Amino acid sequence: MSRAFDLERRGSYAAAAEAYRSVLATKPGDASALLGLERVLLPINRSAEILPEVRAALAANRSSGALYGVALRAWAAVEEPDSMRAVAERWAQATPGDEAPYREWGAAALSRRDRAGALAAYRMGRERLGRPHALAAEMAQVALTDGDYTTALREWIPAIEKLPGYRVTAVATLSQAPEAVRPRLLQLLAREDKFAARQLESELRVRWGDPLGGLRALQSSLPADRGSAVEALRGILDQLRTSRTQEALLAQGRVLEALAGRGSEAQASRLRLEAAQAYSAAGDRDSARRMLTGLADDRTASATVASGAGTTLVTVLVGDGKLEEANRRLEDLRPSISPEEYGSLRRSIVLGWVQAGELGRADSMLGADSTIEGLALVGKIRLYRGDVPGAIESFKAAGPYAGERAEATQRTTLLALLQPIEADSLPALGAALLQVEKGDTAEAATSLEQVASQLPASKGGAELRLLAGRLAAASGKSGDAERLFRAATAKEAPATAPAAELALAELLLGQGRAGEAIARLEHLILSYPESALVPQARRTLDRARGGVPQT
Amino acid sequence: MKRREFVARTCAGLATLSPLSRLTLASAAAPWLLVPMDDAQADHLKAYGLTFRLLERGGRAEWFLNYRNGSFLLPADAATARDAALAGVTTEPLEDGRLVQIRGQLQEGNMDAVPLEKAPKVAVYAPPNAAPWDDAVTMALNYAGIRFDKIWDEEVVGETLKTYDWLHLHHEDFTGQFSKFFLNYAGAPWLVDMVERNREVARSLGFPSVPAEKKAVASAIAAYVERGGFLFAMCTATETLDLALAADGVDIAASYADGSPMDPDASSRMRWERALAFHKAQLELSPTMPVYSDIDGHRVNSPDRRQPLGSFTLFNFSAKIDPVAAMLVQNHRQVIPDFYGLTTSFTRDTLKPSVTILAEEPGTPWVKYLHGERGQGTWTFFGGHDPEDPQHQIGDSATDLSLHPHSPGYRLILNNVLFPAAKKKELKT
Repeated sequence: MSRAFDLERRGSYAAAAEAYRSVLATKPGDASALLGLERVLLPINRSAEILPEVRAALAANRSSGALYGVALRAWAAVEEPDSMRAVAERWAQATPGDEAPYREWGAAALSRRDRAGALAAYRMGRERLGRPHALAAEMAQVALTDGDYTTALREWIPAIEKLPGYRVTAVATLSQAPEAVRPRLLQLLAREDKFAARQLESELRVRWGDPLGGLRALQSSLPADRGSAVEALRGILDQLRTSRTQEALLAQGRVLEALAGRGSEAQASRLRLEAAQAYSAAGDRDSARRMLTGLADDRTASATVASGAGTTLVTVLVGDGKLEEANRRLEDLRPSISPEEYGSLRRSIVLGWVQAGELGRADSMLGADSTIEGLALVGKIRLYRGDVPGAIESFKAAGPYAGERAEATQRTTLLALLQPIEADSLPALGAALLQVEKGDTAEAATSLEQVASQLPASKGGAELRLLAGRLAAASGKSGDAERLFRAATAKEAPATAPAAELALAELLLGQGRAGEAIARLEHLILSYPESALVPQARRTLDRARGGVPQT
Repeated sequence: MKRREFVARTCAGLATLSPLSRLTLASAAAPWLLVPMDDAQADHLKAYGLTFRLLERGGRAEWFLNYRNGSFLLPADAATARDAALAGVTTEPLEDGRLVQIRGQLQEGNMDAVPLEKAPKVAVYAPPNAAPWDDAVTMALNYAGIRFDKIWDEEVVGETLKTYDWLHLHHEDFTGQFSKFFLNYAGAPWLVDMVERNREVARSLGFPSVPAEKKAVASAIAAYVERGGFLFAMCTATETLDLALAADGVDIAASYADGSPMDPDASSRMRWERALAFHKAQLELSPTMPVYSDIDGHRVNSPDRRQPLGSFTLFNFSAKIDPVAAMLVQNHRQVIPDFYGLTTSFTRDTLKPSVTILAEEPGTPWVKYLHGERGQGTWTFFGGHDPEDPQHQIGDSATDLSLHPHSPGYRLILNNVLFPAAKKKELKT
C-alpha cells in the first residue's frame, strides 16, 4: 500500500493503479486500496476499468459502505443505471435504516447529470425508510438546480431541524432566489412555527437587504435557553457583518447588545464596545453613548476595551459636535493608541471644525499633517476660504486614494468643477461649497447660482450652474433645477453641456415629459458623439422610448 | 403572391436603392453605409430596427447574406446616418468602388445580396393585459424600435388579421387549458384574471368553451398563413397551435377547461394533416401533468422527465439556392446556449418530413428551430421562452436587452421580422 500511495503522490497514476491492484489481488475487500484505485483511474480517464475489482471487493466484503459507494460510482461511469440500482439495493439490505445507500446512489446519478435518476433514488429512499423527511437536503439541492426555490425551502426546513449545520448551505443557496420569488418564500416560512424556520427567515431577510426585519423575526422566538439564544444571535451576526449599510450596522449593534446581556462580564465589556462602534457607525449616537457609559473610564475593563471605548466615544462626540470634549478625550487616549489611530481621530475632529465653519481652528489643529488624508483636508480648508488654485493643488497632491471611495469621488468632482475657473480667489464660491458640506443644499444652490452669474460659461459658470441644478433637484425644486440645467447646456462649455443635457433629460423623464427628454437626449448624442456620457444617454433614451424595462 | 423564391441579383443592388435617397446623401464621397453584423457591430439588435425604419421611410436596403455574418447595405442619407448615431449602431461608410468589390465577393462564395423593399406590417398576438416584458419578441421589437400592433382573439377571428404581413405568437396555449398552470398556480391572481378574460372572450364570440374558441383562433391563423401571411411562433404557441389544428373533432382539453374529460383515444384520432409542423405525437392524458405531448423534448415542468439544457447549432444554408432559410439563420454565432420554455424543443420523431430544420442540438432527439410553408405563406417555430433568461420562471424580473445587445438568440427572432421585407420573385416553374 505504501508503494501505491507513493506512486499516487508522485502523479504516476498508471503505476499506482497497478500497485493498488496488486494489493487487491491478495485482499480484494480492502476498502483503502479500492478507493485508491478509484482515485488514480479518474485522472487518466479509465474509471470504467475498476469494475472487476469492484465485483471482487463486494464478493469479499458485503458490509463496507465505502465499497458500495465505489461500486455505485463505477456503474455510473459506465452508465449502467440498472446495476447502480442493484448495488444500492444490496447496500440498503446490508444496512437497513441507513440513508447512505440512497444518498450515494443519487449522488452517482447526479455525477452523470441524471437528475431524474437521482430523484428516483431519493424518493425510493424515503419510501423504503418510511421517513418522509429523509434525504431532505439532497432533495433541496435537486430542486435548486431546477430553480424551484419553494420546494427547496420546504425540504431545507426539516433538513436543518435534523442537522443544524445545513443552515449555512440553505441560506447560501436560498439567498440566490430571484426577487420575485422571495415574498412567496417568506410567506412559506411565516407559516412554520419551528425555530429553525425563524432562524432561516431571519438570515434570509438579512441577505435580501432587510437586516432589521431579519432581527425582528429572530427576536420574536428567541429561545429562553441561553446557549441556543447565543448561537442564534451569533448566526445572524455573521450575516450582518457582510453588510455596511446603516440598517445592517444598527441591527449589528442590537445583536451585539443582546449578546452582551447574555455574556460573562469580561465578554460583555467587549461586546458593549463592539455594539457602541456599530451604533456609532450607523449614526445612532444615543445608543452608542448608552453602550459606552462607564466603559471608557472603567478601571476594571481591559486596556484594549478601554482604549476602544475611548476612541469610539471620540467619534460619537465629533458626531454630536462636541469637538472640544472630543479633543480632550483624544489627548487623554494618545498614550494608549497607535499614532495612525490618533492621526485619524484628530483629522475627524478637524473635519468637525471645518463643517462647523471654524476654518482657522481646523487649520491650526491640522498643523503640518503631510498624510494624503491630511492634504485632502487642507484642500477643503483652502476651498472653503475661496483659494481656488490652492485647493486644486492640495486635491491633486492628495490623489485618488485618500479616505473612503466616496470622498475620493467627491474630490474628483470638485477638481472638475474648479479647473475651468480662472479666478485666484472666490470667497463666495468657498462659502457656497461650505454650505453644501454642511448639508444646506437649498441655500447652497442659490449661492452657487449667484457665483455662476459672475463667471463666463466656459470658465466655470456652466459647471457651477450644473451643480446648483443638481442641488435644486435634490431639494425638490424641480423648476429651479430645470432652469439651471438649461443654462448649463451652453455650447461654449462643451465639457459640461452633455452632463447638463443628461441631467435635464433625467429630470424631464421624472416629470413624465418623455417627449422633451427624448429630444434632449437625441441632441446630446448627435451634438457630442465623443462624450463619455453617450452610452448612458442611449440607455436613458431606450428607457424614455419604452425600449427597455424601467429599473 | 408566391413567397418561395427571393431575388438576389449581384450588381443589381445599386439600382435597387432609390435614386431619391441618393440625392440626400450625407456624404458625396461615401454614398453607402455598410452595417456590419460580425463582432465589429456595437448593437446587433438595433441594427435590425435601423434597417426596418429605413424601409418604413420608403427607402431600400440590401441584406448581404453570409457576408460579415449577414450585414446590411443602406443608403448614406442624412436620416439613416442620424438614426444610426442615435441607436449606437456601427456603420461603415462605403464607396461605390468598394461596393463593387464586395459584390464580387458575394458572387464567389456562399453569399448573396437580397434586396429589402417594404417594411412588413407587424402584429403580436397577446391579451390586452399582457405584460410587455413577458414576451421575447415584444421585447426585441421594443428594443430595436420596430413598430407593431397587439391583436387578440377578436381581431384574429374577425377581419383585422388579414391586414398584417407578419404575426407573432408567444406562449399562448391554443388547447385552451391555460398553459396547465392550474397545477402550480391555483388561486394566483394573474391566473384567475387569465381564466376570466379568456372565458369572457369565448362567451362574447359565441363559443361554448375556451378550448373550442382557441381551436377557431388556431384555424384562423392557419388560414392566414395559407393566404400568404408570415407566422412566427415561440414557446408553447408552437406546440399547442399544431395540437389545436390537428384536434379537429377531438377533445384534447381537460375537464377543468371545457367541462368534459380529454378523449382517452385522442392521440390516435388527431388529424395531423391539418397541423403545420408536427405529426404522430402522443398526447399527455393527465390533466395534472404540465406537459401537452411528446413534441417537446425538454419537458421543463415535468420533474421526472425534464432534460438539461445544452446548446443548439444553426445549420448553414446556400444563400443563392435557399435564401429564405439562409436569412433566418444569419448570425455571428453558430452555437447558441439553449433556453427553456413551456415548449423548449421539438422531438425529431414528431416532425413532418417537409419541415426544414434550421437549428438542432447535435446528438439529441430534439431540434430547436423550424421553418415550413403552408399554401402561399410561411411559418417559423422557435422553441423556448427568452434566449437571455434560460431558466425563465414566472415572476422573474424582466430581461433588459440593453444588457444583451449582441444576443445571438434574439438575432434569430429579428431575422424573422425582417425577412418578409425581402423582394419576392414568382417561381419560374
